Amino acid sequence: MVLAGAERLSQQAELINALNVFPVPDGDTGTNMNLTMTAGVAELKNKPSPDIGRAAEVLSKGLLMGARGNSGVILSQLFRGFARAVAGQREITVPLFAAALRQGVDTAYKAVVKPVEGTILTVAREAAKHGESIARRTEDIAEWMGEVHDKAAETLARTPDMLPVLKQVGVVDSGGQGLVCIYEGFVHYLMNAEMRGAASAPYASGWTTYAPVASASSSPASAHVTAAAAAHASAQSRIATESIQFPYDMEFFIRLQGRTAFSETSFRKALERDGDSIILIADGDIVKVHVHSRRPGDVLNAAVAYGELTNFHILNMRDQHRELLHPASGAEPAGETSDPMGLEAASGIPDMPELRAAEAASQAVEPAHPVAFEMADYGVVAVSVGAGNDELFRSLGVDAIISGGQSMNPSTEDLVQAISSLAADHIFVLPNNSNILMAAKQAQELADRPVTVVPTRSIPQGLAAMLAFQEEQPASVNEDRMLRAIDRVLTGSITRAVRDTVMDGIDIRGGEYIGILDKQIVSSETTVMAAAQGLLERMLASGDETVMLLSGEGAEESDTAGLAAWLAEAYPDAEVERHEGGQHLYPYLIMVEKSD
Amino acid sequence: MSKVVLVTDSTSDIPLATRERLGIEMVPLRVVFGEESYLDNVTLSPAQFYEKLKGSSALPTTSQPSPAQFLEVYERLLAEGNAVVSVHLSSAMSGTYQSATIARSMLDDDSKVTVIDSRSASYGYGALVVSAAEMAARGASREEVAAEVLRLRKEMKLYFLVNTLEYLQKGGRIGKAAAIFGTLLNIKPILTIGDDGVIFPIDKVRGQKRAVARIVELLESDFGPGAAIDLAVVDTPGDVEAADDLVAVLRTRFNVAGFHRSEIGSVIGTHAGPGTAGLFVFPAGSGHIV
Repeated sequence: MVLAGAERLSQQAELINALNVFPVPDGDTGTNMNLTMTAGVAELKNKPSPDIGRAAEVLSKGLLMGARGNSGVILSQLFRGFARAVAGQREITVPLFAAALRQGVDTAYKAVVKPVEGTILTVAREAAKHGESIARRTEDIAEWMGEVHDKAAETLARTPDMLPVLKQVGVVDSGGQGLVCIYEGFVHYLMNAEMRGAASAPYASGWTTYAPVASASSSPASAHVTAAAAAHASAQSRIATESIQFPYDMEFFIRLQGRTAFSETSFRKALERDGDSIILIADGDIVKVHVHSRRPGDVLNAAVAYGELTNFHILNMRDQHRELLHPASGAEPAGETSDPMGLEAASGIPDMPELRAAEAASQAVEPAHPVAFEMADYGVVAVSVGAGNDELFRSLGVDAIISGGQSMNPSTEDLVQAISSLAADHIFVLPNNSNILMAAKQAQELADRPVTVVPTRSIPQGLAAMLAFQEEQPASVNEDRMLRAIDRVLTGSITRAVRDTVMDGIDIRGGEYIGILDKQIVSSETTVMAAAQGLLERMLASGDETVMLLSGEGAEESDTAGLAAWLAEAYPDAEVERHEGGQHLYPYLIMVEKSD
Repeated sequence: MSKVVLVTDSTSDIPLATRERLGIEMVPLRVVFGEESYLDNVTLSPAQFYEKLKGSSALPTTSQPSPAQFLEVYERLLAEGNAVVSVHLSSAMSGTYQSATIARSMLDDDSKVTVIDSRSASYGYGALVVSAAEMAARGASREEVAAEVLRLRKEMKLYFLVNTLEYLQKGGRIGKAAAIFGTLLNIKPILTIGDDGVIFPIDKVRGQKRAVARIVELLESDFGPGAAIDLAVVDTPGDVEAADDLVAVLRTRFNVAGFHRSEIGSVIGTHAGPGTAGLFVFPAGSGHIV
C-alpha cells in the first residue's frame, strides 16, 4: 500500500514541483517529497515486516532520515505520529487507522514552528478528522480510505482560499497535492487488493487525472475547462467569476498575406498588453493564435494587419465559469462546448496537434503565471519612444507604456485611459518629455484615482526615476526618491539641426549634428562622433560617472562602438553601458549619473 | 554546570579552523547538481562549488538537513554531558531551523537544548556563533549564551551586494519586494536582512562604484562618518572583485579595527550567485569580529 502511495507520488512529482509557491517558490516540493518517500520505502523494503506496528516504525525511521524540504519534513512527522499510534499492533483496523492518522496530524502540528493553514497540514488534518468521524460507519478499510482521500482532495481544492499566495498565483498547495497523491496510491492499492479486476470499482480502473484539477480549480485565467475539471466544480466554486481577469478565450487563424511581414515577437508583445496564455504557432503561411484577452477587438485589429483571419473561436470564460457553478438543465457539459478543436476538423485548416500539447504544457508548467486578483499598490505609466526604450522601462517595472515624445505628444485622454487600465490603487506617471508634462497634470486631475506625476523631462530622467522606485515604500517616499534621482542625472541628446542659426552662443549650420545638455546646445559638428564627444566632455565632470548610451535611428553601430572606445580611453574610470533605444530624431540619448 | 557547545549549520560560513578551535559543531546542508549530491562545506568546498557552478548549465538545488542529522549531534553532545545552543539560518529562507526544532522535540529530555532562529544568513550569524562560542568557553551558561546571540543580532548591520538578482529569484529566496527587477540594465541591488529574517533590497543602483558609494552612505548613517568599526566580509572564490572594492573603500572611509574575511559556501552561493559580497559590521571594540 505504501509502495503504491510512493509510486503515485513519484509519477506526479513534476506536477507538484510546478505548483510549489509556498513557503518559497523554488519548485522543488515534488522532488523533496518524492525523495523523502523514496527513502522511507527503501527502508521498508530493507526490513520488511508483516506487523503493521513494526512496518510503520521502519517506514517512519526511513522517512525521518530522508526528510527533505519542508513538505518532506512534515510528511515524516505525519508518519512518525502514525507509527506511534500503531506501535505494537500486528494488524490495522479502520478505527486504528483513523486514530493513527489523527496522531500523525497532532505530531506534525506540534513539530512545525509556525503551522500555516492552507498547506499539507490542513489537508492532513481535515482528512484525518473526517476519517475519525466516519470510522464507526464502516469496517471496509478500502472504502474508508477512499473517503479519507476524497476529503483530502476536497480540502486541497480549498487551499487557495486559506493561503493568499496560492490564490494570487492560482495554484493549490504543492505539499497538500503530494499528500493527496500518496493517499490516492493507498486507495488504489486497497481497492485493487479487494476487488481484483472489478472494473466498476471507482479506483480500480486506473488513476484519476490530477493535472486538470490543478489548472482548472486554481488558475481561472488560464483554465481551459475540461470534462475532468467539470467534475471538480466544487473547487471552481471557490473562485469568483469576476476574478477572471482576461475573460475572452480566443482562437483563430491568420492567413498571412505579406502586407506586413509577420513578426511573432511584436505580435506577441501586442497580445501581452491585454492578455495572457498566449500561444502562437506559425506553420508556413498560417498562424494559429490562442490568447485570453480583455479586449478581443484589439486582438483582432492587431492580427488583421498580417492577413486574413479565419476560424474564429471566441468564448467568454466568465460565462463558462458561471455555467460550471450553476449548470442549466440540459446544457451540454462545459467540457464539450469548450473544445475548440471540434470546429477545426471541418474547416480545411490543417489540424495542429502541437497547439493542444503546447497549451497543456503552458498550463502545467506555468501555473505560477501571476494572476492579479487584487489591486496592486502601485502602477506606473510612462511615455516612451523607441522599442528598446519601451523594453528598458518595462524591465524596470513600468506597467503601461504610451508611445510619444518629441513631435508626437500623447493626449490627456491617452494618459487617462492608460491610468484607468491599470489594476492598481495609486498611479505614477512619467511623462519623460517637458511637452507632455501639462497633459500629465491634466490627466492627474481627471483620473479616477490618486496619481503622482513625476516631472521627468527626458527618457534618461524617467529611467533614473524608475530605478529609485521601491514598491514597498509609501507614495510620498517614492515621489521624494524619484525627484532626487532626477536631480542626479544629466540628459544629453544628439540630433540634427534643421537650419542655420545661432543658439546659446553656438554657430549652427543646417544638417550639422548638435549636442544638447538638458536644454542647452553645447556642440555643433559635422559628424555624430565629434558632436557626441563634445557633449560628453561637458557631461562628465569627475570622470567616474556611470554613462549609458541609448542609440536611436540614424546611429551607426560603428559610431556607437567608436564612442564607447573613445570613452574607455578618455575616461577610464567611467562605467559605460550601451543599449539600443530605438528613438527617432535622436541618434543618441545619453544618461550620465553623477557620482555621489 | 554543564559545558555549553554551539551547534550551527554549514550556511554560517565559519571557517573550519575557527570551528575546530572553538569546538563548534556544524551540520551540513546539501547541494544537488543534477544527480550528484554534496554536503555543503564538507564534500564540496566553496572553491570547488563556484568552479562547478561555472560549468553547470542548470542551477543546483539545495536542501535542509534532516531532523535525524541534528538528533544524532544533540544526542551525542548530551550524552557527553554538555548543554547545547543551536543557531541556524533564517527560518524565512530555509527549513533548517525547522529540522533542528523537530530534532529537539524528539529528545527524551529537551531541557538542555536551545534552538535559535538567527533570522540571518552566512557570517551574519556565523559571527554571532563565534562570539557565543567564545563566551561559552569562558564558562557562560546556556541561557546567557542564547541571550547574547539574540542581542548581537540586533547590534549588527549587514549588507549584501549581489552581481544579479537572478539567483535569488530563481531560488525563490528574495521574499519581500520580489518585483520585477530590470535585468536589462546593469543594476547592482544592495540587500539586507530584516528583523523578520527576510532578505530585501534596500536600494538598486547602477554600476559597481555607485553601489560601493551607497553602502558607504548606509554605513555612515548607521555608525557615523569615519567611525571605528569591526568588519567581516565574505566573498565568492573566483569572483572577489566586489568584496575587494568594498574592503579597500571601507578602509579609507572608516577606522576598521577588527577584521574577518571568509568565503560564502555552496548553499548560500546557490541562492546569491557568484560575485556576491557580504559585509557584517559591529561598532568597534565589541570584540565580536577578530
